[in-house]
Amino acid sequence: MTKRLVVNEVDAYDLLAHLVASAEICRFEPHYYGTFRLIDAASRLAESMLKASDRDDKWLREFKREIDQKKVWMMWDREGYYQFLSEVPANVAREMKRRAEEATSQGSREARTPPDAGQ
Amino acid sequence: MSPARTGSGAGGIVLETIRSRRVTRSFTDAPVSDEHVRLLLEAARWAPSSGNRYINKLVVVRNPSTITLIKPFCPGVLGTPTLMLAICTDAQKGAAEQVQLDKDRSVWIDIGMIAMNVMIAAHALGLGACPATSFSRSAVSAILELPEWLTPDFIVQLGHPAAVTRVMRPGVRSRLSVEEMTYWERYATTANPSDTATKP
Repeated sequence: MTKRLVVNEVDAYDLLAHLVASAEICRFEPHYYGTFRLIDAASRLAESMLKASDRDDKWLREFKREIDQKKVWMMWDREGYYQFLSEVPANVAREMKRRAEEATSQGSREARTPPDAGQ
Repeated sequence: MSPARTGSGAGGIVLETIRSRRVTRSFTDAPVSDEHVRLLLEAARWAPSSGNRYINKLVVVRNPSTITLIKPFCPGVLGTPTLMLAICTDAQKGAAEQVQLDKDRSVWIDIGMIAMNVMIAAHALGLGACPATSFSRSAVSAILELPEWLTPDFIVQLGHPAAVTRVMRPGVRSRLSVEEMTYWERYATTANPSDTATKP
């Protein structure tokens, strides 16, 4: 979880533009559109992270795919959309917990391994 | 009864074009041809204008670099169109026509009628189109170098549609029926009084 992830400048500026434009239009759009702008921003961030990652992050790829598939439910299936929104944080939390545990156990393994092991 | 009412002939084609049009949010990289752009602008030109005032101006954006620049400031643009048509309101022309831009709803109606003409024409030409109002007017103005009296109020995203599969939960409908959106003669009368099929 502590690995440096470099998002390129163009993607970072694109996300910045999306966020500031969303902030502006949220002043007059229906309030629930704000949820759409945020979950869409999450998808855009995930896309940049996928591009920046040096490995194929299957969880993140699936996470983005599901967001893109279900975010548009906001327009014709509000109930399904809200249900989806309520599930997303737990999904992210489980993945973050899994990664944290993986990093901890990896750290423990490294700590237990003598410096000259394998030499 | 006219062909348009029965759904046959030229009228039937128009009705079927209206019925089969859907919003397109995913586009291929293929550019929209000059001829198609011309026909889309021609369709826009034939839209009704309140009081024959014509206070709208169109900005055609085809340069991929400009579209790339505009897109992140348009949270309502989910795909990448190859053509953007910005429908702008000309405040100078509006003032000359004594239009109260902040109070007169016909200003928005005019924009909507232009947009609808363009979207129907796009569908008839085999193109995809999607309306966008969720964008930063200030950012789009800056990128398009619009003078202060010209406000971009609507963007029609256009291009060749890409194949996509829309996933919906079972039982979810996305379109209202005529009955759900119509009252007859007065409020809350949902049955057509002249519909003999429902009479005993």
